Amino acid sequence: MTAQELVAPPRAPIPPEAAKAFTNPPAIPTVPGPELRIDTPRDGEFAPSSYTLNELLRLTGQNNPTLRQAQLHISAELGKAQQAGLYPNPVFSYEAEQIGVDVEGNKDSPGEFQGGVLEQRFVTAGKLRLSREKYLRRAHVSEHLATVQQFRVCNDVRLHFYRALAAGETLAIRRELLKSSEDAAVTAQEAYNMGQVRRPEVRRANVTLQRARLSVMRAENAQRESFRRLTALVGVALKEGAVEGSLTPEREATSFESELGRLLAESPEVAAARAKLAVDRATVERERVEWVPDLVARGGAGYNFEAGETVAVAGLSLELPIYDRNQGTIRQARADYARQQQELRRIELRLRNRLAMTYEQYLSSLQHAYEYERVILPESKAAYAELLESYKRDRVDWPEVLMAQHDYFDAKLVQVDNLLEARTHEVLIAGYLLHDGLMAAEGSTPAGHIDATPRPR
Amino acid sequence: MSIPQEPSRPPRREFLRTTALAAGGALTGSSIAAAQHSGHAMDGGGRGMKGHNGMSPELPKPIGDPSLGRPTGVQDEYDGFRRFAPSRGNSPDSDYYLGKLVPGLRDPSAGRAPFVAPDITSLPYEMKGGVKEFHLRATPVEAEFLPGYKMNVYGYNGSMPGPTIEVTQGDRVRIVAKNELPEPTSMHWHGFELPVQWDGASELTQNLIEPGETFVYEFDIHEEGTFFYHSHIPMQEAFGMVGWFIVHPKKDWDPPVDRDFGLIFQNFAIEPGQTVSDSWAMDWSWHTINGRSGPFNSPLVVKHGERVRIRILNFSPMQHHPIHLHGHTFWVTGHEGARIPKSAWIPRNTELIAVAQASDFEFIANNPGDWMMHCHMVHHMMNHMTEQVGPRVRPHQSVDAYLANLDRSPGVSSQNSDPGFAVPGYPQKMKGMSMDMMMSDRIVGRRETLGMRADWPMAIMGLMLAVRVLPEDLYHLVMETDEPVEPGSVFTEIVRRFGDPSVYHPAMKMSHG
Repeated sequence: MTAQELVAPPRAPIPPEAAKAFTNPPAIPTVPGPELRIDTPRDGEFAPSSYTLNELLRLTGQNNPTLRQAQLHISAELGKAQQAGLYPNPVFSYEAEQIGVDVEGNKDSPGEFQGGVLEQRFVTAGKLRLSREKYLRRAHVSEHLATVQQFRVCNDVRLHFYRALAAGETLAIRRELLKSSEDAAVTAQEAYNMGQVRRPEVRRANVTLQRARLSVMRAENAQRESFRRLTALVGVALKEGAVEGSLTPEREATSFESELGRLLAESPEVAAARAKLAVDRATVERERVEWVPDLVARGGAGYNFEAGETVAVAGLSLELPIYDRNQGTIRQARADYARQQQELRRIELRLRNRLAMTYEQYLSSLQHAYEYERVILPESKAAYAELLESYKRDRVDWPEVLMAQHDYFDAKLVQVDNLLEARTHEVLIAGYLLHDGLMAAEGSTPAGHIDATPRPR
Repeated sequence: MSIPQEPSRPPRREFLRTTALAAGGALTGSSIAAAQHSGHAMDGGGRGMKGHNGMSPELPKPIGDPSLGRPTGVQDEYDGFRRFAPSRGNSPDSDYYLGKLVPGLRDPSAGRAPFVAPDITSLPYEMKGGVKEFHLRATPVEAEFLPGYKMNVYGYNGSMPGPTIEVTQGDRVRIVAKNELPEPTSMHWHGFELPVQWDGASELTQNLIEPGETFVYEFDIHEEGTFFYHSHIPMQEAFGMVGWFIVHPKKDWDPPVDRDFGLIFQNFAIEPGQTVSDSWAMDWSWHTINGRSGPFNSPLVVKHGERVRIRILNFSPMQHHPIHLHGHTFWVTGHEGARIPKSAWIPRNTELIAVAQASDFEFIANNPGDWMMHCHMVHHMMNHMTEQVGPRVRPHQSVDAYLANLDRSPGVSSQNSDPGFAVPGYPQKMKGMSMDMMMSDRIVGRRETLGMRADWPMAIMGLMLAVRVLPEDLYHLVMETDEPVEPGSVFTEIVRRFGDPSVYHPAMKMSHG
């Protein structure tokens, strides 16, 4: 089969005697068969359940893995803080010196000194305290990031909850629109029989009907998809069902500046960045004292085989910071600190950027939703009702009524989109623009920061 | 499928006959459903149909006094033509053929019969210095086409059509025309051979009459006949600005008539849910006779044997009207130009009256009954004609189900299950008509309509009206007393006296309210 044959349209079933003798109108197409309904639950299989938003949020809190991850990030940082603050252990060593030294009366003695030595490092300049503090501050960053993750997850659950709600309403309206198309198809048959329309118009009505049926199937698929995605966010397998709630926005809309002010003041992302700045400040403090030498004292007791008596050893060591005063690392830490200051600014600007887009969509969808509610839906409904009344009094043709009915249901469909968009952006604005609840929880230290000593400091 | 046509019987009639027999009256059954749906209960059955109890309903009891049916001393027969029975006469060349010159019953000493334009008032005048002075105001009008249907048009003195001007040949008239419209207008005196400055053809002969301004027309009338006046602004003409201008001859026309009626036929384009006529439209959806649509227009009620003149003016914007009278053959005795010499009169059942033309008919009302007179154009026999599809042609479906919940359509079964749809073209009879308005007391409660068949308003729509020819006693009962008259009783009495009551079925009686 060539490509040309593949794109060739199917043969049109044109009756040979059309318009020469009465020919029955093209039949109304049948509904799509079971082979296209592989994902549709059979009658009786589908046990309708319904879920509220609060119930789903509660289940999410218990089951979404990224929330657990975020908690583990905190635990990890606390572990580091604990570790970084631990005092160094004393070192015990056994020493044998000058083994084989000749001594009077006894050549090749076991040594001048055989004994145990205990060495202890005395940490100076509060290095351990500063290290612990640094990691505690990192734990604080992780706490903010856990809040970020919580908003990501809860907002995403809300978004998908409203998507599922809208999908349900869309499906209901699509079914009404299907009835409208069915009516139009039957009307075309009636009109054909009365000589009021021609065969192509009957066929057009049939095409419109089948498209409406496909739209209903698509809406059913979309409803199932939205519920399945919601289930994925919740983190637990839920029985397929409906959601209960309202798409109507609840939050009082305020100006962009007011929303931006609130976002910058309260966003957990900003709080995390500020906390990270404190970490970087602590890092600088910590690195600034790194060069202060620790005092390493050692002492012990043993037997001096040369002198034939028990002797003691003692020592004190101190690193002389002649060449390495940790100046490079201090510089690096200061650079990190300065970089984090810019990071804070970057985050604020990024929030402003994202809010600008979100706010525009929020405002536009709110305006649309309000005006659809206030004017467009009532007007469309009134037009439909008036035409129905006129039809009742034999004053208009039925196709005109059907057109108004279609327009009304179509406006309702648009309103569901308006409300969903308004709700979506309301959730994002109220939830500090955070979403994507299956993204892995972030840790406190982005790649590239100083963090690479075997013993944390 | 359609049954092949037989020469003797049209296929649709054959179908209706066989289906009615086979389906036990399924078609009429749907009419019953429609009537019940409209809140009307039916007491009886229509033609060929039994009542609910399987019995034919009883005819109303006899009314009136048949012995008073004919005035005494009246000549009944004229050269073979009979005043009180349908007849032609002995010869087409006779002066009395089809009642051509048969005089009315009126006493000549009582003067000519008054001109009556039902539902339109006459314009009074004052004599001032030997001049008949009329005052006409061009005004916006709210015209009630049907009870409760108040349409916005223009007219004169608050009336559409305007009030009737009546004068006598030889009069001098002065018409003080004031423009109370928000736009300029002009007044044309259609058909008069007057000095050009009073012709009213705006700009060509005079300046327009601006809003609030008055223009005085004054001229002598040497003509006689059927004339009219109207605005000479085309859209205002289409918007209803017309009125009768009847000029009675100095010497009454012969033979004298008992009745002299005037009917102005008009069309308007008024969309559903609208009350303003679209005078720019090319199609016309509302039709009025003297400002009212059938059945709200008044029947013309005459006495059996009277000589009747009906003058009809077609003032529709762009559609001609073939006017048909049932039960009688009339003589066309004049047009708006002039009375026609008797030698040129022609007998007709249907007279085509073009836009801005008028025709005068005369006939002897020798056939008692309620007769239809109507424009024969199908779309003019109803108002706002609509296509027959949707709930009204579907079994067990009603538009009320859609109205009950605008957010949930009741839906439709995938095919119209009416077996009638096996016949191409079905249905042609308008289904699901709303009857509540038709049964308004303002329609069926008027004296002119008393005693007609109970569902008569279902037959009279658009450019239709009834001409009632009543025996003397029944005319007296209907028009000159306040006695209650049972629906259908007058008609049945006429059937009893002039027809065969044994094969007559009264109408389905519908209680309304």
